[in-house]
Amino acid sequence: MMTVKLQVVIGIALLLVFAILVNMIRRRSLELKYALSWMAVLCALLGFVCAPGLLIVVSDFLGIYAPVNMIFFLGFCFSLVIIFSLTVALSRMSNSIRTLDQMVALNEKRLRELELELKKTKAEKQSKGE
Amino acid sequence: MKKLVIIPAYNESGSILKAVEDIREHAPGFDYVVINDCSTDETLAVCREHSLNYVNLPVNLGIGGAVQTGYIYGCQYGYDMAVQFDGDGQHDAAYLEMMAQRLEETGSGMVIGSRFIEKEGFQSSGLRRVGIRFFSILIRILTGKRVTDPTSGMRIVNRDVMHIYADNYPKDYPEPESVTAILRMGKKVTEIPVVMREREEGTSSIGGLVSVYYMVKVTLAIFMEWLRK
Repeated sequence: MMTVKLQVVIGIALLLVFAILVNMIRRRSLELKYALSWMAVLCALLGFVCAPGLLIVVSDFLGIYAPVNMIFFLGFCFSLVIIFSLTVALSRMSNSIRTLDQMVALNEKRLRELELELKKTKAEKQSKGE
Repeated sequence: MKKLVIIPAYNESGSILKAVEDIREHAPGFDYVVINDCSTDETLAVCREHSLNYVNLPVNLGIGGAVQTGYIYGCQYGYDMAVQFDGDGQHDAAYLEMMAQRLEETGSGMVIGSRFIEKEGFQSSGLRRVGIRFFSILIRILTGKRVTDPTSGMRIVNRDVMHIYADNYPKDYPEPESVTAILRMGKKVTEIPVVMREREEGTSSIGGLVSVYYMVKVTLAIFMEWLRK
């Protein structure tokens, strides 16, 4: 199923990706909240790399003939879950932006009206003063 | 010394007035600002009706975002210290002056009102206590400093820390992470014993499965803060 060479190569690649992820979070380029699902996937993959026996156990449990197919299948499922969670976050965010847009527009109108009133009151005071 | 009380409020229409009156009566040396986090109940109406000093967030941000808004407000209006105060009646305004004094005397960056020094008053549920203890130990290991109540929302900070938090503050479950952040920056954190009341109205926002997510997320976040310095 997996040669030792493959295990080491994938293992190193995964650890590298993990380090990059952690560094991006540290630098605040990535929000921890959204990186959590990626970290979960990395941990699962690392688990399979360290214990290839797990591959056979899980594929047997799922009723899949070849463990390689299971990796592709699970990888696809994980990707879908992550993409979906991003879609949800995006939806929420677009709503927030809409609300902010509207608030800014309405606030701008209020400011304009206040400025107009202020000008009027100043003009009235001046004309009274004369 | 210009002193500000930040009152983050999400659906606290039943208790927000009492909280403000508590501050007016027992901490008259403090200004206050209510941060209405887009409440869906009558919190905003209560603020308007009683002419409370408030800031109204058009989009809900959660406790982290709301409190951070308070810190930004504090910076903009030139306050020397800012204290976080719950709008649900759990905190007692009588401690505020004491906390301000301790902040000045000790030259600390932050003074925390801890429930667990004297162990009096509302001590939170058993499972929560285990979680709080865990964070206490984790912070001790990573920073060497002892914080008995890292999740306490009753904290006063000086101008330096106010600016730090105005720039960067965690979005959810912010208390343990934010304490770790300033400890890593070398700021001094002191604690005084306080007594907190049990929540009168409304419901707490942490429960069940969410607790697991909370523990994992905050633990990772604390490690991230440890890595940042």
